[in-house]
Amino acid sequence: MSDQTGSNGASGHFAVSLGDFRTELAFEVDAGRILVLFGPSGAGKTTALRTIAGLVRPDAGRIDIAGRTVYEDGNGAGARPVWVEPHRRGVGYVTQQNHLFPHLTVSQNIAYGLRDRRGDPARQRVAELLERLRLDGLADRRVWQLSGGQQQRAALARALAPRPDLLLLDEPFAALDMELRRELGSELRATVRQFDVPVILVTHSREEALALGDEVQIIDGGVTVASGPPLTALEQPGRGRVARLVGVENLLEMRVTARLPQDGTMVCAAAERQLETPLADGCAVGDTVTVGIRASDIILATGPLPESSARNTWAGVVSAVTLRPPGYEVTLDCDGVPLRCHITGTSMEAMGIGPGLPLWAIFKASSCFLLSE
Amino acid sequence: MIPRFLLGTGRADGVRHQASLGALAPAGVAATVVYVLFIGLPIVALLARAGQQEGFLAGLTGELVMQALRLTVITSMVSMVVVVVVGTPFALLLARRRSTVLRVIDTFVELPIVLPPVVAGVAMLMAFGRNGLLGPALGGLGVTLPFTTAAVIFAQVFVAAPFYIRAARIGFAGVDPTYEEVSQTLGVSPWATFWRLTLPVAWPSLLTGLTLAWARAVSEFGATIMFAGNLTGRTQTMPLAIMTAMESSLGSALALSVLLLAMSVLALAALSVLLRRTGSTA
Repeated sequence: MSDQTGSNGASGHFAVSLGDFRTELAFEVDAGRILVLFGPSGAGKTTALRTIAGLVRPDAGRIDIAGRTVYEDGNGAGARPVWVEPHRRGVGYVTQQNHLFPHLTVSQNIAYGLRDRRGDPARQRVAELLERLRLDGLADRRVWQLSGGQQQRAALARALAPRPDLLLLDEPFAALDMELRRELGSELRATVRQFDVPVILVTHSREEALALGDEVQIIDGGVTVASGPPLTALEQPGRGRVARLVGVENLLEMRVTARLPQDGTMVCAAAERQLETPLADGCAVGDTVTVGIRASDIILATGPLPESSARNTWAGVVSAVTLRPPGYEVTLDCDGVPLRCHITGTSMEAMGIGPGLPLWAIFKASSCFLLSE
Repeated sequence: MIPRFLLGTGRADGVRHQASLGALAPAGVAATVVYVLFIGLPIVALLARAGQQEGFLAGLTGELVMQALRLTVITSMVSMVVVVVVGTPFALLLARRRSTVLRVIDTFVELPIVLPPVVAGVAMLMAFGRNGLLGPALGGLGVTLPFTTAAVIFAQVFVAAPFYIRAARIGFAGVDPTYEEVSQTLGVSPWATFWRLTLPVAWPSLLTGLTLAWARAVSEFGATIMFAGNLTGRTQTMPLAIMTAMESSLGSALALSVLLLAMSVLALAALSVLLRRTGSTA
């Protein structure tokens, strides 16, 4: 399987058990690209990374890195078992807590995986990485003297120094604040392109998966439940389980009441409310469907818009306002149907939003998507 | 009023905690004074008496003292080599792996610390003595252990090893295994990872444990006299020589005591210097 991957990429499929928990995964990633494994904690993401790194031994499968088989169960016809030890796999591994070695300086940490650490090539390599990851001037610092962002960059530099064939990043930015995450994220993308290394990144943050992934695999309960380009997989999830995993704020149980093929839409209703969604081929009038609407796709207004292209306008009353950095989440009660909407602090103030205020929610038919379980 | 210089500023962590002691401060000061006098007075008395005692200087260079000193230094060094070679991998296993058998062993590692040394000596006689468990087997090989220099080393290892093993296990347990895994993903073999990562990070604990073990080996008395006897030049270490000299020559006894005191102080000072040095570079 996946033997067609370019010789600079990595691919594989494996099953691994830890106690009662079993993870089964297939993956494929090319050089210079980032594959994101997205899912809740306990989904098996970290186990998958550790298996690829050789820190956990799988029960079955095969893993290829840069055209070399590092694991093969030997169960296939003519296949011999292969097991390459972690220190011979050429895989860089960066953890959430970065695990920089506390007894070494920054430059000693970066040089740790190099062959002749005191030779000139090693020195040049360390200087190059210090510069590329904006760590100049910190070479002789102790690890604990660095800021969180600098530590994470140093850990990345250390993993890149021995020119790995595959880079594994386990929640690399989870311990950092939001602003730093964005900054490091775009740096990471540039670095990955520059070093032309395939990357597998594990995260439970939807924003991170969207911003960093070239490809996303959504993992839950040890299996891939969806995969594809990040916008498709995360923003318009096709299945209810996936929608809950990626955090679609509004999931409404509705009944199809009319099909409007001329508009490419159909009408769904729940309680007193109805809305228009894109037309789905498999749905007939009378079917029950789950409609997903992202909270950020809803416009709030203090009155109905006189003329607009948006097909859906619901009147409601604000029932709750909660802080959701960087903005707020407003819950609108629409005749018993709660609708959650995300707005900025500035809009909150300008519109004087508080519990009890009547508001109108406006959203396009194309912002509504149908989910199948 | 308690003078300021005794109480200090309460800045152990760089913050002033004036209220943390409260009414306990006078009790603390009193206890400190009592304790310092209790430990300090005998030591001062030992040094003062040694300075006046006839035969002290002669004793320092006398045959009894020199023989005991040489024997003690050699046996304690050999013991420490054995303790490190066997104790280090053992402590690493205890720190890294969990199994019922290891947990039971872990519980009993410190037994020699709480066991009266005389009992240890008797037990070793029962194991390695001429009529002991392994006596016939050893005899068959032409090996006699009791009342030899080797027996001194056996006794020292028996009582001193737990001090090193306990500290080493704590030191190794303090190194998150993820560090070792990251090291391996960087292309460093498990063996090289131990030397380049685990050992340097755990080093302060190992050093502290080794110092304590060495001090315990040097001061060993009960197990040695039971299992190795008190033979001048062969099994008579400094503590045994002190007891022997007390009956005949107080000068020699004082000379040995002052030497042991000096060795202990030196060991503590060396440890603190070494720890500070690794602390500043690590």
